[in-house]
Amino acid sequence: MDERAKRDFQAGLSAEVDAFLRGEPTRREFIRRFGEMAGMIALSSGAVPLFAQDALAQAAVDLADPGTPLGKAQAAALKASTEGPADGSAFRAVQAAKKYKGVTLSMTYEAGLQALDPRNFSGPVWEQLTGIKSNVVELSHPDQYSKPIAEHIANSGAYDILDIEPAWTPAMADGGVIQPLDDYIAKFMNTADFDDYHPIFKALPTYKGKVWGFFDDGDMFALYYRKDIFEDPKLKDAYQKKFNKPLAPPATWEDYSQVAQFITDQMAPNVYGAAHFRKASAPGNQYDFLQQYRANGGVFFNDKMKAQLDSAAGIKTFQNMLAANKASIPGNNELDAVSVWVAWLQGKVAMIYSWPPTGRMSANYSQSAKAINFVPQSAIAGKVGYALVPGNPELAVGYNKALAADSANPEAAYLFMQWATSPPVSLARCMLPYSLRDPYRLSHYNSSLYQSLWPDAKAYLANLANSANNGLLDMIMPGWQDYALSVDRMCTAVWAGTDPKAALQTASAEWDQVTERLGADSQKAFYAEYLKLPGSSASNTVEKLGKGVKID
Amino acid sequence: MAPAALPAGAFPLPGKEGMTNAASVPQRRRPGRDGALAEWADRRLKWLLAAPAILLILALSLYPLLFSIWVSFINYDFTVPGHAFVGLKNFQQVIGDPVARWSLVVTLILSSASVVTEFLLGLALALAMVKPFRGRGVAMSVIIVPLFISPVIVGQAWALLLQRPFGPTNYLLGKLLGMDVTISWLTQTPWNFIALVVADAWQWTPFMFVILLAGLTSIPQHIYEAAELDGVEWLDTFIFITVPHLAPMMLLAVTFRLLDAVKLFDTIFMLTGGGPGTMTYSSSFYLYTVGFQQFHLSQATAGSWIFLAMTAIVIGVLVRRLMRVEAAR
Repeated sequence: MDERAKRDFQAGLSAEVDAFLRGEPTRREFIRRFGEMAGMIALSSGAVPLFAQDALAQAAVDLADPGTPLGKAQAAALKASTEGPADGSAFRAVQAAKKYKGVTLSMTYEAGLQALDPRNFSGPVWEQLTGIKSNVVELSHPDQYSKPIAEHIANSGAYDILDIEPAWTPAMADGGVIQPLDDYIAKFMNTADFDDYHPIFKALPTYKGKVWGFFDDGDMFALYYRKDIFEDPKLKDAYQKKFNKPLAPPATWEDYSQVAQFITDQMAPNVYGAAHFRKASAPGNQYDFLQQYRANGGVFFNDKMKAQLDSAAGIKTFQNMLAANKASIPGNNELDAVSVWVAWLQGKVAMIYSWPPTGRMSANYSQSAKAINFVPQSAIAGKVGYALVPGNPELAVGYNKALAADSANPEAAYLFMQWATSPPVSLARCMLPYSLRDPYRLSHYNSSLYQSLWPDAKAYLANLANSANNGLLDMIMPGWQDYALSVDRMCTAVWAGTDPKAALQTASAEWDQVTERLGADSQKAFYAEYLKLPGSSASNTVEKLGKGVKID
Repeated sequence: MAPAALPAGAFPLPGKEGMTNAASVPQRRRPGRDGALAEWADRRLKWLLAAPAILLILALSLYPLLFSIWVSFINYDFTVPGHAFVGLKNFQQVIGDPVARWSLVVTLILSSASVVTEFLLGLALALAMVKPFRGRGVAMSVIIVPLFISPVIVGQAWALLLQRPFGPTNYLLGKLLGMDVTISWLTQTPWNFIALVVADAWQWTPFMFVILLAGLTSIPQHIYEAAELDGVEWLDTFIFITVPHLAPMMLLAVTFRLLDAVKLFDTIFMLTGGGPGTMTYSSSFYLYTVGFQQFHLSQATAGSWIFLAMTAIVIGVLVRRLMRVEAAR
């Protein structure tokens, strides 16, 4: 810019500014243009994103190769949704939901892999089938409890569908956060689908005689062990000589720590006997302690609703758990579930008990999806055996799909829940390699498609079904969050050196405070209801009730 | 430079002529209802302009504050229906809770250890950086980077570094010391406290450094030159010149940092989860757990008021000292 041009520009600018300050036409021009711009923004926020969102949603559908077992399961789910049978829950849900085209449903999911199912598969497919969009809200596991409550207190109507632990159902139902589904079920559902649930899961969403959700994630603990180590002739001989019994997957907790210690002694630092999720505030301690405690004959409360943790069963449980810790990989007490998986998949550990994705990751099936490639490739594929957790395994967490009481579109939300948990759609969702949804229907365990996902997938499914037969439930009653927090604190204190007796006494006192706060009489009534559920105690499992499911 | 005398008639003086002149100026506002309205609007324009901000502050600060006072005297617990008046019960529950009392001790230990560590390191860095040297700009930029990182990310990063068996810390220490290091940084006392202080100091030492460096550069150079001419030793220079001049900034930095350190939450959440047991529960972590994990909101609110009162006393003392120092300058 030469000097003259510069002067002209500055003079022009000065004139513009002066005119603007004087309120001459420049200002009106500015206001008019600003209005035009605002109008364009308003228009574009309505029209363009609608188009863009639609296109993005279409692009986001992640369907597997139709020739693969997963592709076939997805095709079957789509067929059941579009062609029927006409009385199928999936078909009926889709037909009824079409009138809600354009509605957006907000659904909470655990952040990370769990949320990939509605983002990549069920959400976009549902949108294609019905025109209903989904807004997936990813929350950390504790927030899946706290955020819906906070939003309910604020009356924001932020969520339509909630993924919640079955154990939270009483608190959330009594608190008015979720609403019962009975009327919708009567109107839309093929109730034969209830008979397809494994018996331990069937009654979980029922509370005070009403149905408060659909069970949707079979989080059964199971034992996974290295067959190559347990079948090693040298180790077998040495174990036989030392303990006068064969080396085998342990059936009791005493055996468990003994076997773990033996393998650590023989193979460390290359391989250690076991690894456990023991980190504070990472879900794990409460489930592990309560499953072992009940396997040791422990009960939660006496007739007067006084906590019974401080008991011989409690002491025995800690003795076994401390022995197992000692026999485990260094840093055992700092591990969470993912860290345990990493150690296991790298071949550093001879056995772990954990949630069902362990089997899929061990076989490298999960890692076939890009979304989960942050998990190490399994160095032990083909070497993994499946067994029952000693005593009784815990149904640790699990998920119910629940209908938010403040939903602006409750019927549409309900229909999505019915569709997503229907037998064919839920099978396709459970088979997603990146999803952490675990089998829970009889049709899942018996699915030839699922059984063909990897060479011994059938044995994996049979073991999960057997684990559910012998499984124990989390405490499904108000205050579970508080009771569980006390157990977590108690365990981590003991790992750090606190005397188990003192820790049990502290936790018992905390449990009694929780009971007192909630009302001992009402808690007693809830506890009595809980004890009626199959899986509430080691003497009341599905297997003991003669309702066990066998997979051939 | 002011003019010695103003030329006659430069400004109309008050008087008959002046008034006439003023009256002859055309009226900008029409008399009547419109004019009165415009005048009213003119007079109150400042208030009208400030009103949205004031309303926002009232809505977001004052209302929640008053609401929280109400909540701390009633039952506001998600698991217990109703909002009955319970008097001081919520306060009694907090005072009677051994975890709450322990959390105060933890807060005291961690905040004082963190602030002292950060102060000493920040001062050392500021003294090292006060004189120009080659690469000082780059070094300063690198030092203050942690300030811009979210505390949650800092906590996660340190967790990855320290967690056994995958974190590299023990391995590196082992190589350095030539022996096996098996410290459980996150679950073994006192190492878990040390880990929390280290993570906090890594992030917030730059804050101390920046404030103290600003203080150091504002000390007049000629005092140091005079001391040098008089042959004063380095340590005496530091004690008798630097410290007195820097004292207000030191107090300011410590006060600001302490205000923040007593709220320590993020790194505890990420590193230890409050464990083992309740060993590393700070007051903030305790209140979060009671309020947002257990949903005993009224108890958490009462606890917050108790904590606020205690913090206010400490910070009040510090601020009063700060004001006294400022007044004396």
